[in-house]
Amino acid sequence: MSDWTEADLVHWDEKIIRVAEDLGLDWHPIDYEIIDYQEMLGAMAYVGLPTHYRHWSYGKEYERTHTLYNMGQTGLPYEMIINSNPSIAYLMQENALYIHILTMAHCVGHSDFFKNNRMFDETNPDNIIDSFKSSAKYVRKLIEDPSIGIDNVERILDAAHAIKYQVPRSAGLTHKSRDEILAMEKLKMTQDQTYTPNLSKVPLQPEYNLLKFIAEHSKHLAEWERNLLLIVEESSKYFIPQALTKVMNEGWACTIHYKIINELNLPDHLHLPFIKLHNQVVRPQLGQINPYHLGFTLFEKIIEEGGMSEAMIVREVHNDISFLRFYVDEEFMEDQNYFSYSFKKDKKAITIDDISDNDGWEAVRDEMINNIGLNRIPIVFVDEVEKNNTLSLIHEHDGRDLDLSYATKVFEHIQALWGDEVRLISMVENEIWEF
Amino acid sequence: MSVFRKHKSIVDRAASDRGRHKKKIEKAIKDSIRDVIADESIIGQNGTKKIRIPVRGIKEYRFVYGSNEKNKTVGSGGGHKVKRGQKIGQKRTEKAKGQGTGKASNERGDEYYDVEISLEELAEYLFNDLQLPDLEKKQFKFVSQETIKRKGYRFKGIRPRLSKKETLKRKIRRQKIAEKLGTYDPEEGERFPFHQDDMKYHHIKPKVKENSAAVIFFLMDVSGSMSQDRKYLARSFFFLLYQFLNHKYEQVDVVFISHSTHASRVSEDDFFKVGTYGGTIISSALNLELDIIEKEYHPNTWNIYSFYCGDGENWSHDNEKSLDLFKKIKSISQLTGYAEINEHYSNFADEHEEAVMPDGYPWPSFSAWKNEELENLWSKLTPLCDSKFKKVMIGQTAHIWQAFNSLFGGGK
Repeated sequence: MSDWTEADLVHWDEKIIRVAEDLGLDWHPIDYEIIDYQEMLGAMAYVGLPTHYRHWSYGKEYERTHTLYNMGQTGLPYEMIINSNPSIAYLMQENALYIHILTMAHCVGHSDFFKNNRMFDETNPDNIIDSFKSSAKYVRKLIEDPSIGIDNVERILDAAHAIKYQVPRSAGLTHKSRDEILAMEKLKMTQDQTYTPNLSKVPLQPEYNLLKFIAEHSKHLAEWERNLLLIVEESSKYFIPQALTKVMNEGWACTIHYKIINELNLPDHLHLPFIKLHNQVVRPQLGQINPYHLGFTLFEKIIEEGGMSEAMIVREVHNDISFLRFYVDEEFMEDQNYFSYSFKKDKKAITIDDISDNDGWEAVRDEMINNIGLNRIPIVFVDEVEKNNTLSLIHEHDGRDLDLSYATKVFEHIQALWGDEVRLISMVENEIWEF
Repeated sequence: MSVFRKHKSIVDRAASDRGRHKKKIEKAIKDSIRDVIADESIIGQNGTKKIRIPVRGIKEYRFVYGSNEKNKTVGSGGGHKVKRGQKIGQKRTEKAKGQGTGKASNERGDEYYDVEISLEELAEYLFNDLQLPDLEKKQFKFVSQETIKRKGYRFKGIRPRLSKKETLKRKIRRQKIAEKLGTYDPEEGERFPFHQDDMKYHHIKPKVKENSAAVIFFLMDVSGSMSQDRKYLARSFFFLLYQFLNHKYEQVDVVFISHSTHASRVSEDDFFKVGTYGGTIISSALNLELDIIEKEYHPNTWNIYSFYCGDGENWSHDNEKSLDLFKKIKSISQLTGYAEINEHYSNFADEHEEAVMPDGYPWPSFSAWKNEELENLWSKLTPLCDSKFKKVMIGQTAHIWQAFNSLFGGGK
């Protein structure tokens, strides 16, 4: 059946490691789990984490991938790797040897990125697996507790998942405690007599961590409910750095696997299918942004212009936003023929707004950045807790309106968690909109 | 060197979450089934045919941007020529979901699952909570099922039915007695073998599950006033009813009667292939039913259920007579249902949602047609209504399920 044995994997792994070391990469050791198709679906559903807590949405994700795969709309990923130490990566039993070689080289790139990019400074790769494990255990305990049960657990998790991306996005920056902010404000007041902030306000400054804020300040949640919110927040914190660096991370991993494989002197029967697969992974997709392609081509450009040493620094200090701001230029946008488009109500059609020519490329680049990772998710923050314990939330409107039907549902989830009045202010078609 | 290992776990870790998701999907199926039960593609199908019904996926809500002008999408054009203002599609395209690690997707859009189910499963979902009311024990019983039940022990029997426990108990008892009597000393290490007399066998007895006999009368108006739409609704109603009975009760007799100015007993096939003609005399069908009951289905022996469906446009001189016959049928039936197809009802239902099917008295206090047809059969039947006589009005396909619930949903 398969064209490989474990000895083959070991053989190529050793070679890959040698080349990667020569390139100056620095990565966590990798544990490869060899799994079958079904297990791969399972691993994907739980975003690779072997110890993730259970929730029906992961069952849905499983069915979704399964369906798409059966309909031929998606292939299974060649790589799935967890930001842990050692990194855990999956190899699918059914894949051919050349795919495994590509996957292993690719995983070295990811692991190197996890270990070096500063967005990941606060992730805790040594303990992440255990931390997820204890969360999973806690969730299971609640489900099995006859006084709580699965319906109640789902009630909280459903609501918490609705705001799971409403957490701070400035990975790498430490967040100040209330006391620290208070001290700063007082310092400012001594320097400037006219500065009179309201020091009893809660929160003192806009709070972007909705999950944590509600867990800590709601007057109606039971202890286990608060704990569930914090579990979801923990898991979000794990994923935020990855969401902030999707383009770079994939681009870097592709760059690395391409470099490594070209050094391996693969025999033709492995090299030719590899080239084909590589081209498939990094090809542009019409009307879409393929992060593999975007990241790979940008890193290629950087290496061409500044050498590998420049690329090594880039993989360390940037996130997707700064990466694109710094390195995307007119020539690149024009070469890749990026354009922006939107649905026009009056025409009942999607039309092109801007194209990457001299006049338009900056606008298209800005929209591209708007469409990257977490920028696709609206920001909602806690403005203040008013009298009667009303939770006042503000949507940071950046020109894009919320989808109201979705926002209404999320609003209901927040209400359920908060337990008292909630207000959410946004803008819709240039008018103030209050939920 | 990296570590390679075969995955240890053989359990499907997603199983319980998939099961939970499936439960939610099933609920969604149940919710949308009510919209599809009167669908053309279902009516008239036999049980083997699979039906595809679209079920809205279970959504997970997040804050997302709406699909409007200010929310632009960016994509690469490859080798294609792109121009500002160029029309490239009708509706917002779904963005492909990223693969691999770090998914922070906010894809929205309605997800539909095409769920394929058989008529049997459909019936299962639909009729789970419904039943024929007041099924009484009558003299005449059907043998519908034979099961085998253990009942006590016997000293004779076949080897497979040997009761090891009872046998051992008897042997121990015998052994103890022997010890007391001094005929057997366990210290000597001698075996104390089983004896033929120790053997005890399970006794089994066939048990017959008995169901009361029931006969269901389907009476349908096939007069000329039954327009295409009305016919369709009536047919759907009976089709659903038939599925319900088939699903729930193994042994029921169904008598099909269609009528215009006179009634005839027809086969199942003919009943569902309705052609329409002539005027309407409801009493003809009711008389025929009573005839058949007298000859074949004595009320002492049979549970009788009667369901009439028509457009209510009876010849006015026949209304009194029909009323009397309905009374008579009611007196010998477990349940009599009168379903009237009336497209005016749609409007009413829309405007007075709370008044839909209030305990089988959905007479609208509304509109001109009330006064004009005060003397119609529908209003004449009102005094008959109680737990044994129910009337329902069907104005559109959505009402069929409501009608069903009010007939079989336990009083409501």
